[in-house]
Amino acid sequence: MTPPLYEVRDLVCSYQGKKVLGIERLDIAADGPTAFVGHNGSGKSTLFRALAFLLKPESGSLTFLGRPTEGHEELLRRDVTMLLQDPYLLRRSVFENVAYGLRARGERRGIEDRVAEVLEMVGLSADFAGREWYQLSGGESRRVSLASRLVLRTKALLLDEPTANVDEENGFLIAEAVKNAWLRWGVVPLVASHDLPWLDEVTDRRVHMKRGRIVEAEVETDFLL
Amino acid sequence: MSNDEQRPSPGGNRVRRASREVNALGYLSEGFLQGISLIFSMNEEVWSAVSATLRLSGLSMAVTLLIGVPLGFLLGYCSFPGRGVLRVVVDALLSIPTVVVGLLVYAFISNRGPLGSWQLLFTIPGMAVGQTILALPIVLSLTASAVENTDHRLRSTLLTLGARRWGLLFSTLREARHQILLAALTAYGRVTAEVGVSMMLGGNIKWHTRTITTAITLETGKGEFSAGIALGILLLAFSLLLNGALSFLRRRDAA
Repeated sequence: MTPPLYEVRDLVCSYQGKKVLGIERLDIAADGPTAFVGHNGSGKSTLFRALAFLLKPESGSLTFLGRPTEGHEELLRRDVTMLLQDPYLLRRSVFENVAYGLRARGERRGIEDRVAEVLEMVGLSADFAGREWYQLSGGESRRVSLASRLVLRTKALLLDEPTANVDEENGFLIAEAVKNAWLRWGVVPLVASHDLPWLDEVTDRRVHMKRGRIVEAEVETDFLL
Repeated sequence: MSNDEQRPSPGGNRVRRASREVNALGYLSEGFLQGISLIFSMNEEVWSAVSATLRLSGLSMAVTLLIGVPLGFLLGYCSFPGRGVLRVVVDALLSIPTVVVGLLVYAFISNRGPLGSWQLLFTIPGMAVGQTILALPIVLSLTASAVENTDHRLRSTLLTLGARRWGLLFSTLREARHQILLAALTAYGRVTAEVGVSMMLGGNIKWHTRTITTAITLETGKGEFSAGIALGILLLAFSLLLNGALSFLRRRDAA
């Protein structure tokens, strides 16, 4: 039996001495996308930063695919990636941005093909690879940022408000790319969003959060397929 | 002699003043034309000063960048006890007067100084020591600021893409590259335009340590405006070239 993607136990995160996240128990399944919903300040982004190993929890434990994570964060960041709420593009070309993570992993072969493949997945033509970061619109920047995560084919892909400030068309392209990454490569998407109609496109499985706590976790599995 | 004859007439004064102004304009334009002619006739004295300036600024900038960029990067990137105080000291050194640097270095490298045996006084390397001290705070401070001012999302972005320690470091340096180049160009502008250090440590020796700025000072003192103007035009050309590069980089960075 596949272990859960994450097992969260008594996880506490604080910011400037104030507790912002307190989760007693949460298992996130590895067999499909999960959405995290809740108002602003409900702790979604903090939880995602902890799950992406960007934030060290104050206490509690976290396992990833059955393995303890403490002390192995740097290595585990190779299996998990996250699209930030306000993504940042490196001051380089689109190609350099998308290829960055592959090169950081020491990969040298087939980079051009993989970059072209994910650019196509996010609805961008191959000639976008030569554009500079400042030549892109807001929606294109977000899709390039997504492509730079998808190309890594990590086990988990955390998306923090992926459709914030993008139009419907860009939102649709992002949803399609995320679903394709799951279906093609088994990249498990975890999505935090307020955009409920958009979330319906991706998954029915919901975790509801409020004031840094899990208030309800639905485990429906009739997503995508 | 009557009083009317002794008193200068107002009309005569105006004529004399106008005549002086015409002469002065002629003198300046003549100096300017002679200056241009000196440049294009490849006057050896003029080009010797240009050569000394380029060798001196090249040497001092090479040392400054070699020391300043890594240290400035660490100053902006790392947290350590006393970092705040160090930043204040570096920033204070930005406005250090050139003659003070000249005086201090002179005391060290003159024959009676602790480094007198190195025979650096009145040599290009000796002048480069002084110019490096002038330029170093600029490169340190502006490089540290460039790193501090990189986007707050950069670190998280690099981590989510799988960068490790050295990857984080080099990628941050690369993100700040335009600002670091601005720092280098600003420092270069400072060293090519300064007089105090070059005069005190170089001694303004013809064919050896006479730079553009010290030559202009000397030629103007002698009343040789044409040579001064020729050198001034070349210095302005340097300055315009630098400012053009700076403004291009600023525009590119702001895009």
